[in-house]
Amino acid sequence: MSQSRNVLHEILGGQQRPPDGPTGRQIATGLVALLVLAAAFTSFYTVQPEERAVVKRFGAVYGITDPGLHFKLPFGIDSVQKVATERVLKEEFGFRTVDSSGPERTRFSPRNILDESLMLTGDLNIIQVEWVVQYRISDPIKYLYAMREPTRTLRDLSESVMRRVVGNRIGSEVLTIGRVEIANDARDEIQAAMNRYENGLHIITVELQDVVPPERVQPAFNEVNEARQELERMVNEANRELNQAIPRAEGTANRVIAEAEGYATERVNRALGETARFTAVLAEYRNAPEVTRTRLYLETLHQALPRVGSIFVTQEGQVLPLLNLREPELRQIATSEGAQ
Amino acid sequence: MSKNLTIAAVVLAGLFFVGFKSAFVIDQAEQGIIVQFGEPIGDVIADPGLHWRVPFIQEVRRFDKRLLAWDGDVSQIPTLGREFIIVDTTARWRIDDPLQFLRSVRDESGARARLDDILDSVARDIVSGTELEEIVRSADWEVDMSNLAEEEADALAETDLERPKKGRAMLEGDMFAASSRLMPELGIELVDVRIKRINYIDSVRVQVETRMISERQSIAARFRSEGQGRSQEILGGMERDLRRIRSEAERTAQEIRGTADAEATQIYGAAFGQDPEFYAFFKTLESYDALNENTTLMIDAQSDFYRYLQSTQR
Repeated sequence: MSQSRNVLHEILGGQQRPPDGPTGRQIATGLVALLVLAAAFTSFYTVQPEERAVVKRFGAVYGITDPGLHFKLPFGIDSVQKVATERVLKEEFGFRTVDSSGPERTRFSPRNILDESLMLTGDLNIIQVEWVVQYRISDPIKYLYAMREPTRTLRDLSESVMRRVVGNRIGSEVLTIGRVEIANDARDEIQAAMNRYENGLHIITVELQDVVPPERVQPAFNEVNEARQELERMVNEANRELNQAIPRAEGTANRVIAEAEGYATERVNRALGETARFTAVLAEYRNAPEVTRTRLYLETLHQALPRVGSIFVTQEGQVLPLLNLREPELRQIATSEGAQ
Repeated sequence: MSKNLTIAAVVLAGLFFVGFKSAFVIDQAEQGIIVQFGEPIGDVIADPGLHWRVPFIQEVRRFDKRLLAWDGDVSQIPTLGREFIIVDTTARWRIDDPLQFLRSVRDESGARARLDDILDSVARDIVSGTELEEIVRSADWEVDMSNLAEEEADALAETDLERPKKGRAMLEGDMFAASSRLMPELGIELVDVRIKRINYIDSVRVQVETRMISERQSIAARFRSEGQGRSQEILGGMERDLRRIRSEAERTAQEIRGTADAEATQIYGAAFGQDPEFYAFFKTLESYDALNENTTLMIDAQSDFYRYLQSTQR
């Protein structure tokens, strides 16, 4: 007690003394002062809002403190380890986000990343799976003291579990409909393993990112898609042709029928007209058959003869030219006869 | 007085030093053994906190109490089916009996060397006695073909899709059991052994990829010929329909024409039948209407027509 009061006195009064070289007393005083200062600086700590602090006294866990300013025993008697329990942490597999910089991010070569993402499916094909595990430290004490390298274990286990889950499915299922189920199965299985190790990690989600066939095979997968498109295109084109041709043919058919109907009407009407004329003439003829007959005959000839090209008269098998009917033709005939 | 003070200070410092050397801290993560001239003394100190020892002659060996990770070398192993695969195993272990641990392997690097030997050889034994399918698939393996597209199911027709006899988890169990037997003498407890990675070696991978490519190409070819087939089918149906439509129209048209012709014939018949002789005369006259300058008319001198003609000339 009295010593510490002395120390205080020395600290306060030290400046006023004339500097006549350090005595033993002054050295001791300085040391004690340093000690006090060190004690002052090592007896409090701050816990950030997203953290919890594990306090240990002589190496044994003593308690957990919440965010805020806290005091502890100095000189390493109490030590504090802060763990970010509220933060969502993330491990990436098969790829690395470039901008989360830091020295450890750069130590992975692309070869390592490919080793992470390449796996075998149940039908013994190769597939490339990229995924993310999001997790939180739910129990800081377990996190620190159940396992030496919980994050590394999480990585190892995630790879092991993902390969088991993917290996238990057909490749095409993994590529298409199986994604959600795979993510859920993997999450549950990783969580179960973490619980078994009691390492205080809580898995929030497992999210599948790119799930693709190996690079060299991808063009062949694209080819299948193209072929599927081509199939649809060919079917569509054929249907288009069909849709063009059938209505046109139906129109043509209707036209053919309509034309036939026109013909039918015309034919019947002509028959009716002609017979009506005949019937009318016949009625007149019956009144005076001889006269009408002769009249009709002569009328017709009268109209028709002027149009006739040449007329020959035959008598007992001999052809006689009919003179004076048409001058040029008759002359022609006469000369041809003279030659005979 | 200053001399006394100095002596006191030296004695105090000495005591402090001795105290400092006899106290030691075991961390929450550790367990320790006190060793005197290389000989372990007393029990394992498992409780974390402040402990005491005889200064200068006893020293403390500390061992991690937590679960530790072990990661095996990546090794190429042939399976029972002679495929070479790359197997990477991982394991969790802890120092269970520090005294035994200290005696048998001394420290962690010694332990890792032993674990490497044991686990690698166990993995090699088990993988080389197992088909690849057994390692990849799990015991609850089931393929639901109804979920798969038809062309995918066809592509799998050649593949052996049987449920594995053991499956991956059980093989890992076998590995664990086989290696666990050797652990007690090392003072180690093995917690689990898992297969982290299995992949084909590069040369096999190229072959498998080539097979996958040809598989895809055959699916693509199938789609293309299916497209051609369906297109042909549609066009064939179209041709059939076209011919039907045309021929039906033709038939209907002929029927209509025929009916009309019959009707006309009937009408003519009924009318002309009243006086066939007059009809013949009437029709003959009508045909004279068709005479023109290209017509040559031959008239018999005895005929009525000639007489009429003579009379018209006069």
